[in-house]
Amino acid sequence: MAGTARMKQPGDLRVIRLPCTGRVNPLLILKAFMEGADGVLVSGCHPGDCHYNVGNYHARRRLELLQRMLPAFGIDPGRFHYTWVSASEGSRWAGVVSDFTRRIEALGKIGAEVPANALAKAEQTAMTDATGKTTS
Amino acid sequence: MSELVSTIQKVLAETGLVLGWSATGAGGVAAPERFHTAEEAEVAIFDSTCVHNLSVHLPRLKGRAVGIVAKACDARSIVELIAEREVDGDQVRVIEVSCTDTLDVKAIWRRYGYGALIEDDGSELRVNGEPVEREAFVQAKCLDCEDRQPATPAGKPVPSGSKPANARQQLREDFQAMSVGERRAFWREQYARCIRCHACREACPMCYCRDVCIMQTTDPHWTGGGINTAEAEMMQLIRVNHLAGRCTACGECERACPVGIPLMLLMEEQNRAIEEMFDYRAGVDPEAKPPLLTFDIKGDSWDGE
Repeated sequence: MAGTARMKQPGDLRVIRLPCTGRVNPLLILKAFMEGADGVLVSGCHPGDCHYNVGNYHARRRLELLQRMLPAFGIDPGRFHYTWVSASEGSRWAGVVSDFTRRIEALGKIGAEVPANALAKAEQTAMTDATGKTTS
Repeated sequence: MSELVSTIQKVLAETGLVLGWSATGAGGVAAPERFHTAEEAEVAIFDSTCVHNLSVHLPRLKGRAVGIVAKACDARSIVELIAEREVDGDQVRVIEVSCTDTLDVKAIWRRYGYGALIEDDGSELRVNGEPVEREAFVQAKCLDCEDRQPATPAGKPVPSGSKPANARQQLREDFQAMSVGERRAFWREQYARCIRCHACREACPMCYCRDVCIMQTTDPHWTGGGINTAEAEMMQLIRVNHLAGRCTACGECERACPVGIPLMLLMEEQNRAIEEMFDYRAGVDPEAKPPLLTFDIKGDSWDGE
């Protein structure tokens, strides 16, 4: 809809189509972050409008839990967003993806928030045991 | 004959198998044991070195009657296993033991050498005959345990109010104070030590998928074969995700970890989030519906839509 209406959409967004948000294993999102994605957006049908009846109700719980857990994993929760956009809401879609890409651009590359000195320390202590002694 | 032994023998007459402990580990500490006969059960013990959560063996014994000696924390795992139909509640006989706390045996051995003799009468802890400070060697999960009744040395009054600050609370506070980026660096530092022995998975009573675990599938390839920080990080993300709403915080993953990664930090964080979102705690009610297997059409809207 957004495409046929010639609406402007950001070019640095990779769309991955899945049958339903119920298919979105939170690990898919985490794996994307681990592989270097700067941001992940999940968009599905509005609650109550699921083609498979209940898929997005299940997804809502999982995605919200993931959203709350991201800071503990050390990933900026701003890099993840879940929302509901139906197939007929072309302009809403264009707005959502533009806003999200702008937000990610402001945050920069994933890992930009990790202090460089902390990361260097992490690599340095790679081979220490639980007591803090260097093992080899 | 101790009360525990006679209870085990009574249960044995009905089930033919009881999981318990005997003092046959290095330095006389407890080791998990399977008792089949009344005679075998005579060596059964329970003391503060009985750290293992024996319910990890239950899913593989499904279908047969079994007795199990369990602390309060282990009992929560059994409840959760029953809730997930991995254990048949009618076939398990739980022998609950009252527990004051359990010891971090590895920490003692790191300090005093592997196999150092540990003697504990419930109040005074002795290592190689020398009295040592107990609090320093109690497992972190026991310091926080709500069921814990701290043993009081004779004559010393019980300190009331807040529990004493311990290393674990300190780590938790430090972690909370970190920025998101610092946390990532913190985890990378921790995971750098991981040797991918999978002990965290093996010790976990809720990780019963065994041969179909996604950590060892090659299609899809969730984790590779490498032993490095990135693989270890993915591994732990998988573990945390798969234990969402199921972790009973028995702390076995962290205890089993040979390189001392504070794995329970993430689990605690998730358990807290789940309690906030769904008012749910795993391992409390065997009839409860796990929160991530169900939904609430009206109550689940967190974004106001």
